[in-house]
Amino acid sequence: MTIKSLKIFLIILLPNLLYSQSDTAIYKGLNLDAVEVKTDALGTAISLKDPKLKTIISRAELKKAACCNLSESFETNPSIDVSFTDAITGTKQIQLFGLAGKYAQIQTELTPLVRGLLANSGLSYIPGAWIHSIQLTKGIGSVSNGFESMTGQINVELLKPEDIIEDVVNDKSVKLRLNSYINQGGRVETNLIYGKQISKKWSLGFLGHASGRSLTVDNNKDGFADMPTGYQLNGMVRARYFGQNGWEGLHTIHVLEDKKTGGQISSDLPGSNPWQSNMGQNRFAVSSKNGWVNPQNPNQSIGIILHGYSQSMTGIMGSIEDLKNKKDLSALQIGGIGQLLFKQDWGKLSQTSTIGVFYDNYHIDFKTNNIQTNRPFTERNIGLSSEWTWRPNEFITLVTGGRFDWHSIILNSQNRVPFSPRIHARIAPNNKNVFRLVFGEGFRMALPITEEWGRLASNREIRGDQFGSNIVGGDQLSLEESTNAGISYTGNFILNYMPGSITANIHGTWFNEAVIHDYWTYHMRYIYPNDPSLNPTDFAMISGSSGVSSNYKLDKKTQIRLAYRYQNVVVRNKVHGVNPISILMPAAFVAKHRALINLSRDFISNWSLDLTLQYHGEQPVPSIHPLSPGLDGNIIDNAPAFRLLNFQIRKVTKKGDFYLGMENALNFQQLNPIDGAVNINGDRLRPSNSTFTENFDATRVWGPIFGRMIYFGLNFKLID
Amino acid sequence: MKYSLLILSLLITVNAFAQKKVELKFITDGVCGMCEDRIEKTLIDLRGVWSAEWDLNTHETFVVYNTKKISEDKIHEALAEVGHDQACSCIDEKIIAMEESYSNINPCCRYRDPNVIEAHK
Repeated sequence: MTIKSLKIFLIILLPNLLYSQSDTAIYKGLNLDAVEVKTDALGTAISLKDPKLKTIISRAELKKAACCNLSESFETNPSIDVSFTDAITGTKQIQLFGLAGKYAQIQTELTPLVRGLLANSGLSYIPGAWIHSIQLTKGIGSVSNGFESMTGQINVELLKPEDIIEDVVNDKSVKLRLNSYINQGGRVETNLIYGKQISKKWSLGFLGHASGRSLTVDNNKDGFADMPTGYQLNGMVRARYFGQNGWEGLHTIHVLEDKKTGGQISSDLPGSNPWQSNMGQNRFAVSSKNGWVNPQNPNQSIGIILHGYSQSMTGIMGSIEDLKNKKDLSALQIGGIGQLLFKQDWGKLSQTSTIGVFYDNYHIDFKTNNIQTNRPFTERNIGLSSEWTWRPNEFITLVTGGRFDWHSIILNSQNRVPFSPRIHARIAPNNKNVFRLVFGEGFRMALPITEEWGRLASNREIRGDQFGSNIVGGDQLSLEESTNAGISYTGNFILNYMPGSITANIHGTWFNEAVIHDYWTYHMRYIYPNDPSLNPTDFAMISGSSGVSSNYKLDKKTQIRLAYRYQNVVVRNKVHGVNPISILMPAAFVAKHRALINLSRDFISNWSLDLTLQYHGEQPVPSIHPLSPGLDGNIIDNAPAFRLLNFQIRKVTKKGDFYLGMENALNFQQLNPIDGAVNINGDRLRPSNSTFTENFDATRVWGPIFGRMIYFGLNFKLID
Repeated sequence: MKYSLLILSLLITVNAFAQKKVELKFITDGVCGMCEDRIEKTLIDLRGVWSAEWDLNTHETFVVYNTKKISEDKIHEALAEVGHDQACSCIDEKIIAMEESYSNINPCCRYRDPNVIEAHK
């Protein structure tokens, strides 16, 4: 195996890979997804044995990304698009199939983190240094993990105590890892990772993270900080238990605090009250996962997940000079999840059953001049799922599953119990080629205000059209429901004695109901659930995506990844007027053509280079000046296509490694990302200035605001 | 820019194909995954070796190398230096590693010891 030879190379570079064979399921016996994980140097591996199109992103791959948290870790991945940070919240969002990341079920070790109030910035609360591996499933996920997977599933495995300690057998081994990062934009980050074996059965792990930005940078001279300043403190304590009689457990406490300030720089506007944004999030969560494999019959296993959390979000946007457009938000979410999984294998057939209960209590207080809500609401669900896997031989795998969800809000408003069927099929004519099929339905509850907080940084008047008219869940809780289907091919080949793989896929997602943010209405921004009473047979949103990607080793030290993707997303927008009609319009901020080239090469004495070139095609964006749209009066502007080049140089030593890199080396910048902030002469405007009041819109960000950026980081191992 | 990079990568590929490569098969003694790692790592690190694999079950070593950059003898020598005995399947020729190199390998990899072989079964 040539892959193996690379593996050795890697293991020598990163000895921890030897011990940290990632397991998808938390429990060894309850390997729900039956993934075969290979830690190879390609960094991302698509298993040929899995019935789902699942890419596993290992730590080796994560190191290629510049920085620092989960949202940024997809920058070398051709399946996931990372959008550009808006200047207000500073959060990068992701897209799968051209659809927002919230439609993919994002979990940390099968418990939700990027959900509810944290759906907006939760991705930035998983530091890259904590991540052990990421499993990215394109196409709807398994019913056992919940109803929320609509386009795909992203499961993040964090470092477990045994991964940190590396050698569990060695009783007194102690390990401390330090990771630090600093960039030209003033971002500083430090992670501390520590593990200790405390007895034969118990081990402890501590993951700590502190990051912040205190430097206010305004490269484009529009008076607005290019990135928000603030800090994030994040900590996790984990206890691992390996007992006799087949029991094992993992118990975690997670504490988080995040504060961000963005907006106009006050020193630029003496004597005025600048437009500013403040955002804060807090979280306290505990989870306990326990697994049991029947020692008498290893084909039977049970898993119990208990998870409780309290998270809050506060946000203020605007200036006291312009009270009309000031927005104020405070929200609290308290919830819990209990899940019981049972798995039984009978030779060629295996069954997984789940019973799950979840409870979510939200209290959202949102104020603008035209929307004022202060209504607590509760979401309760009892879900029952069953999944059958049929594997008659090594060539065919068929997984059929379904789940019923007695969801309090759907039950009360629509008087029905949604059923989500899902099918995954895998046909492998031989051990080098695999065809996969996926079909399934899923749904989720949207929180349009908190989820899209960064998208509200605009003086366009926000209207919640038909809020709550079709769903009685409250003004801000709406159902989104979709069907996903896809077909894919993965093939492995050996060319010129070197291994390579190619993957092609075509996926479609059809939304029966969706919450739509209307970018195509002058002067207004409507948020409305698709109204099925108007067009009961029409879809609210349709996404089609197809792509080809290939990994290949050019020689023993060089790897290349090429990818191209075409995607088309349309959303049903209402044309407001006397007789409102609804038509399908292009989705804002979705580029139809995307391409990526990633090249990495190892050099002598453990130096390596990684280079990524991304191509973003033209994307539809809302035009500037909502009152006087363009010369030709188009509502839809086309943002130009652009290229981004990132590279990184890394040196690995025994004590650790360090890296130096540059993001956006071609120095591409979106000009005037904030509409209405300056006048024709380039003077910065007060929030009370009429040009500002009428035009201000910070949500038109489609490209990098910050130009070229240099960063430096190090991973250090301290052993005592 | 996109195209120039594409062309560049193509050029690299073409260049890679243009090299003279020879396949070499022989038997290398060893007992475990650690041996496998050592054998493959030793070979791949050699200048001129394109790819290297070792099969734990058959002990067969498969090396692809560039004749202009490295000779067959150098490949055998490098393996002997890290303590591995080799044999060519074609001719009755054996390369025995020096006792000194053999003693340097991890005790669990001592493939000449019958007890070690037994322990790995």
